[in-house]
Amino acid sequence: MSDAAARSAAGAPRFNWIAAAGVISPFVIALIVGALLLFASGRNPFEIYALMVTEGFGGVSRIAATLSAATPILMCAVATAISFRAGVFNVGVEGAFYVGGLAGAVVGFTFVALPSPVLIVAELAAGAAFGGALMTLPGFLKARLEVDEVVTTLMLNFIAINLTGFLVNTVFLAPRTGNSATPMIVQSGWLPRLMPSSTFNLGFVIALALLVAYHLWDRYAPLGFEARMTGLNARFSRAVGIDVPALIMKVMILSGLVAGLAGSVHAAGLLHRFVAGFSPGYGFTGLAIALLGRNSAIGMLLGSILFGALASAGTTIQLFSDIPIELVDVLQGTVTVFATVRLTQLTLHRRGGRS
Amino acid sequence: MPSVRLGARGVTKRFGQVIANDGVDFGAGPGSIHAIVGGNGAGKTTLMRMLQGIEQPDEGDVIINDAPARLANSSDAFRRGIGMVHQEFMLVEDLTMLENLILGAEPVMPGRLIDRKAARAAAAAAEAQAGVKLDWDIRVAQAPVHRRQILEILRLLYRGAEVLILDEPTSVLAPQQVRDLLALLRKLRQEGRTIIFISHKLDEVLAVADDITVLRAGRVVGSAKPSQTSAAKLGAMMVGEEIEFPHRTARTLAGRAPVLAVQGLAALDTRGVMRLNDIDLVVRPGEVLGVAGVVGSGQDELVAAIVGLIQPARGSVTLDGRDITTSPIAARRAAGLGYISADRSREGLCLSATIADNVIAGRHRAAPFERMGLLRPSMISAHVRQALDAFAVVRRDEADPVRSLSGGNQQRVVIARELDREPKLLIAAQPTRGVDIAGIAFIHREMLAYVERGGAVLLVSEELDELLLLSDRIVAMHHGRATGEMRGEQADIDSIGRLMLGEAA
Repeated sequence: MSDAAARSAAGAPRFNWIAAAGVISPFVIALIVGALLLFASGRNPFEIYALMVTEGFGGVSRIAATLSAATPILMCAVATAISFRAGVFNVGVEGAFYVGGLAGAVVGFTFVALPSPVLIVAELAAGAAFGGALMTLPGFLKARLEVDEVVTTLMLNFIAINLTGFLVNTVFLAPRTGNSATPMIVQSGWLPRLMPSSTFNLGFVIALALLVAYHLWDRYAPLGFEARMTGLNARFSRAVGIDVPALIMKVMILSGLVAGLAGSVHAAGLLHRFVAGFSPGYGFTGLAIALLGRNSAIGMLLGSILFGALASAGTTIQLFSDIPIELVDVLQGTVTVFATVRLTQLTLHRRGGRS
Repeated sequence: MPSVRLGARGVTKRFGQVIANDGVDFGAGPGSIHAIVGGNGAGKTTLMRMLQGIEQPDEGDVIINDAPARLANSSDAFRRGIGMVHQEFMLVEDLTMLENLILGAEPVMPGRLIDRKAARAAAAAAEAQAGVKLDWDIRVAQAPVHRRQILEILRLLYRGAEVLILDEPTSVLAPQQVRDLLALLRKLRQEGRTIIFISHKLDEVLAVADDITVLRAGRVVGSAKPSQTSAAKLGAMMVGEEIEFPHRTARTLAGRAPVLAVQGLAALDTRGVMRLNDIDLVVRPGEVLGVAGVVGSGQDELVAAIVGLIQPARGSVTLDGRDITTSPIAARRAAGLGYISADRSREGLCLSATIADNVIAGRHRAAPFERMGLLRPSMISAHVRQALDAFAVVRRDEADPVRSLSGGNQQRVVIARELDREPKLLIAAQPTRGVDIAGIAFIHREMLAYVERGGAVLLVSEELDELLLLSDRIVAMHHGRATGEMRGEQADIDSIGRLMLGEAA
């Protein structure tokens, strides 16, 4: 994290070629691996990649679909980056996304009489609040008892996913259905669509605003400054008087708030309800993006758009060609391997650096 | 017999733009002690790393037994009989002394079991060779530092090293222990071994070396025999210019209320061992209180408990009349505590953050750096520039990482951060460690100027010269207790040394 983070409250960030190469090279290598696979199965990789680019970015409606798919990924990436910046390795964004999604959906089908803007704000606030609340537990364990947050947050994902799964099959199950889904959010509680006949909605604008806010937080907020210094050297932070346990607690909750918000945006903007299997792993994709984008706003924006394009092109491409959807998994998987390497480097560095 | 057992011929090593070694020549004959002296950044470490095979020269050759040699790595060097005692010992603390001796080359019996009897015999042989006695059955963690150092040397002998490179070996020792070490080195020389002795302590070098090579800025700037030179001449060669050192002026401090009062303070180290036993001390405005002690005598815990990095087991700390024994660090700093950490690279600075961030860290929430919940980059950079100029920090840009500065300039950043706040009390732990001579003089001047302005300093240093130069009073510590106190002008190295070993002055 150190190189990309060498940026100051006093000076403009410098473009770092090595960091940029670190962000881009996993994608390039993934494309090469994918090309080899396609070639081995007797297909022309260039043709198929060209098709994917067309499907992902060719025309306004396709770009809208890509950005729509990028929305939850980008928000999860920001949620992850907030904690990673401080050297707190919260890998529980996926779980908070579920909890936030359910909370938002419950508000959206319960308080149906509220005026539309009020209802939407209430949904999002509920999502954020529950996401943040979920993270107080690992935050407390880490800050006060030095329990490894990678383990607690990872395990908390299972609790969150299965608990919401249980709730959606029991108390919040839509009447007269058996398909593990809540009732639909009332239409006034949906995030407004930005383009007719497309899923592209206000959620992407919220995600972008969040990204900008994250960037400003990182550069101008005292808490962002403290998070950065602590992530780089916690012992130093402590010695200059920063309350490191309190900081860990704050960034953990902030990360959970954003993850929960992401879940409620997904519920209110796209699915309009909560279902079992609410997320196909957005939290982990966001984690990978934050790692590869080295917590930088621009890196995470590009990464999530790329992954959004992959996801949206992947689904349509198999309708028009004989390319299996698994190609998308291969590409994503290859990129994720590099993200894992990066995470391992960071956590090993942290453990090695403690004395 | 070769005339040069280990040496270098025209060795040049570059790291990017920096030339760490520039055409270095030297040769250490068999049965001799060759001292390499030089300030920080002179290139001593790089040279040693090449002699060890850890780095390879860009130009020139490492010479072994009069012939150029290629060393691929440190085990390669070891096979050629070259071993090194690093500044940070490479021992396994939880194993016994004996186990550490044989680690990596254990004598085995049939059945691949360790032959303890053979190990004991080897230990006895090593002891006899060196003329020392060690307690082989205690764990290394329980052994005092100077015994660990001897173990490191015996380890090399056990494994057959004929050339021993010692990197600043005396920095962890009390004066009497230094004498013992030098005697051991002389004995090894007598046996025909070659010793390369890296140091910046010129009196030790003059006392023990047969030949002296002086490095400055990566070049050999002189070589001499001790009989033909002096500490002053060597010092001038190391620096390349005359350095004006500050002098303490007599100060009258009677009756001023203490800034710092420590009463009955006791603390445990991270392993739960009692390191600080009921110590009392007082620092008044306008004075420097020096703390002397062999490494591990409790001075680290004393500093940590005053600064707030550890909670004391009992006792109290009062800063300017306020009990701060259990206060958080931020509250102590707000009450006027400044702190120069002994561990500059891990605690004193955040190396990968920018210079500016390092200067304002801890004060970033105070006016004028923050307003309405937001940092103000323009105020910050203006102030940082002024503070860095005041402390003559040589830098390219405040937005560069601190890592890009030399050791001496890094320490100036620390001092700029701490003194710029005009604290009431400055805790200075090893403030000149790893700083070159010019930098040391500068730091001493700044600390004395701060004291003249009414500041108070608690100075913990392993450099006795520094303590004698700066302190109004010196307290010696041994096993976590204060063993005596002397007025600075009456103290001398011998009497402090005795106090540091727990003997009466």
